[in-house]
Amino acid sequence: MQVKHRYFSLTSSLAAIAFAAVAKAQAPAAPVPDEHLLGDLVISGTQVEHVTKLAILKSFSPDYEDVVIRSVVRHDLELSGMFDVIPDGKAPPGNYEFDDPVDLPAWQKLGAEVIVKVAARKTQGNRVEIFSLAYFMDVGKTPVYERRIVVAADDVRPTGHRVTDALLAAITGRPGSFASHFCLSTPWGRGRRVLTMDADGAGLTPVSSPEDTSIAPFWGPKQTLYFTQSVRFSPFHLMQLAGKQIERVNVPYTTSIYAASFSVDGQKLAVAVAEDGRSSIYVGNADGTAFNKVSTSEIATSPVFSPSGKLAWIAGGAQQGSQRVYVDGKPVSPNGFTAASPTFCDTELGVRLVYAVAVGGGRMDLVMSDEHGRDMARLTQGPGSNLAPACSPDGRLLAFFSTRKSGPGLYLLNLKRFTSVRVTPQVGESLNWARLADSSVMQALEVRPKSKAAPSPPAPPAPVPPNPASVPPKP
Amino acid sequence: MNSIGTRKYLPQELWLAAILAGWIECGFFALLITAGTNRGNVHAVEAPAPSETPIAVKPVLDDVPLLKLGGKKMRPKLPELWRKNPPIQRFEAASAPSPMAPKTPDAIPSSPLLHKDAGPPPPPDAAVAKQVDQVLLDAGPPPKETQQAQGEGVADGVKEGTETDPLKGRAIGQYKQLLIAWFNAKWHPPDLPCDVMKSLTVAGIPTWGPDRTVTGITPARMSGNPTFDERAKSTWSSIVGQQIPPPPPLYPDITPNQIGAIIFTSASVCK
Repeated sequence: MQVKHRYFSLTSSLAAIAFAAVAKAQAPAAPVPDEHLLGDLVISGTQVEHVTKLAILKSFSPDYEDVVIRSVVRHDLELSGMFDVIPDGKAPPGNYEFDDPVDLPAWQKLGAEVIVKVAARKTQGNRVEIFSLAYFMDVGKTPVYERRIVVAADDVRPTGHRVTDALLAAITGRPGSFASHFCLSTPWGRGRRVLTMDADGAGLTPVSSPEDTSIAPFWGPKQTLYFTQSVRFSPFHLMQLAGKQIERVNVPYTTSIYAASFSVDGQKLAVAVAEDGRSSIYVGNADGTAFNKVSTSEIATSPVFSPSGKLAWIAGGAQQGSQRVYVDGKPVSPNGFTAASPTFCDTELGVRLVYAVAVGGGRMDLVMSDEHGRDMARLTQGPGSNLAPACSPDGRLLAFFSTRKSGPGLYLLNLKRFTSVRVTPQVGESLNWARLADSSVMQALEVRPKSKAAPSPPAPPAPVPPNPASVPPKP
Repeated sequence: MNSIGTRKYLPQELWLAAILAGWIECGFFALLITAGTNRGNVHAVEAPAPSETPIAVKPVLDDVPLLKLGGKKMRPKLPELWRKNPPIQRFEAASAPSPMAPKTPDAIPSSPLLHKDAGPPPPPDAAVAKQVDQVLLDAGPPPKETQQAQGEGVADGVKEGTETDPLKGRAIGQYKQLLIAWFNAKWHPPDLPCDVMKSLTVAGIPTWGPDRTVTGITPARMSGNPTFDERAKSTWSSIVGQQIPPPPPLYPDITPNQIGAIIFTSASVCK
């Protein structure tokens, strides 16, 4: 009996080993990363800048929707500062209607490396069909990006920004952030007023009453607008815009709150609170509980969280000398320069700290460094004051107010090519920039890498019929 | 009086005095000899060396504050605005026929010849077409398109290609350019004659930390020029510990481990 049992166990063990070996052989091999995907890097010591030449097909359509969607996408791509956009005047002759094919060879002769077509037309009811297409000339006649969606007529303009973001994701691997909005405060009559505005400068809308003094606006979790407000010389309270109502936020302070900021994950709230003629930074939970004091200087204000979770603020006093930027309690801005308005940018080179410094004559300029204050570079220099920097959610652009003689207003600075362009003549004192809320349109336009491609198509877009525009023209 | 004043010593007295003087001398000499042998002699004894006893040293800060470096009031200065370098214009190497060239085989240029002139522009009233598709009668019918490869990929790809996603292919190319620009900003070739420097190349294999930090660069090939090699090594040591830029957010699977070697040259500087 015992021998029989041993024989059985030996047989079963051998069978198990054999089964495991067969299973291993039949299992799909895990994808092995290509160890030479990036290849060798040849470093010559000279910087060569290549600006992608991009063509946006023009349109002869008189439809309002088509004009809006195309002008929004074109304007956004020009504002991005990343491309050499071929002027409409150089466009080759041909047909540019909704379903007309793209004459790739003609555009290639103009030197276009990327060709973009966007078009819109009304469909049944109050709906608009939006079509977007992109070709890489080094890939060939097959479009690398193609989406066709149907949206409400009122959503054409924000959809245009989302199309731009998706096109930027397709072209660079990093989604854009033109589907976003600013909030700013600006002098208004005897007080200060908070306003909102689209990323391209359109849709300037006042939020707070002109009778009150509202300052330091910022976007919080779920794209809620927050700011501090004083009504008839009362202390400044932290307020939020809930729907169309302005409500007071529950924080355990009765004195003035000068500024506040949420962490990137929305879990922490930092506030600058007045106390005994001084101001201090307190950090607590987003629900207004468990606050702890983190600053030790006489004056501490303008708290802001970095994407990596660090907290920066402006601190100064008799001991600290000039007002400097402190990150997690350590000064990172140069001594002797009064610093203001710190903000963080999640750029393609990593997280960078941007702030304004006083340069004399009542003027300010913007400088950028890493989170520890190293590798400092000056971003603006010249006549006029440049202040209140705010970084785009994708880290590509820096918005700021400038009083330069060529035209005061809100400027966008490309953080890779360091070219700036004026968006709107509106000026202000503080600025914040955040994405719009996620939507089904965004998911429909999203660029999905092949390895992550979702098996089912996204919900709202209309069924995609065969697209004649993606068919190359017949010779 | 005279007898005493003029008395002369007797020989016995002289002998007695000499003997007494000798005795006295001998006595002193004997005393000197015996003085070094008895207990009264004082011997020099070396003082004992102090023994080493370990003690705990507690540094105590001086109450007097350190003096501040002073001088003439200096105005702090910000760095100058960063300005990008103008792009380098590149031309394709080409040779034009020259009537001055000697008629020898060595004078034949190795680079391709220039294309012939495109001719005069068309007249203003001519019909200009975007593309003229001429079918040559003697060339026969155009060849049928044949499928060269199957499976994933793009029609304009190459057989040796590995990337099937054109968007990722472009993102990889742009990320590589970003990395090259990042290393370029740190590499400053030494000031050597161009005819020496243009042939110098140094290669290193980097190792990476989990957060894209350069943990080390192992030399794979040195140029042999001590100045150039020393500059490359100092650049490598300055790069170690730094974090390279992150990959595009849509493609986080691109890792620094996919970088082969980092090759430092100076050929373009000389150009």
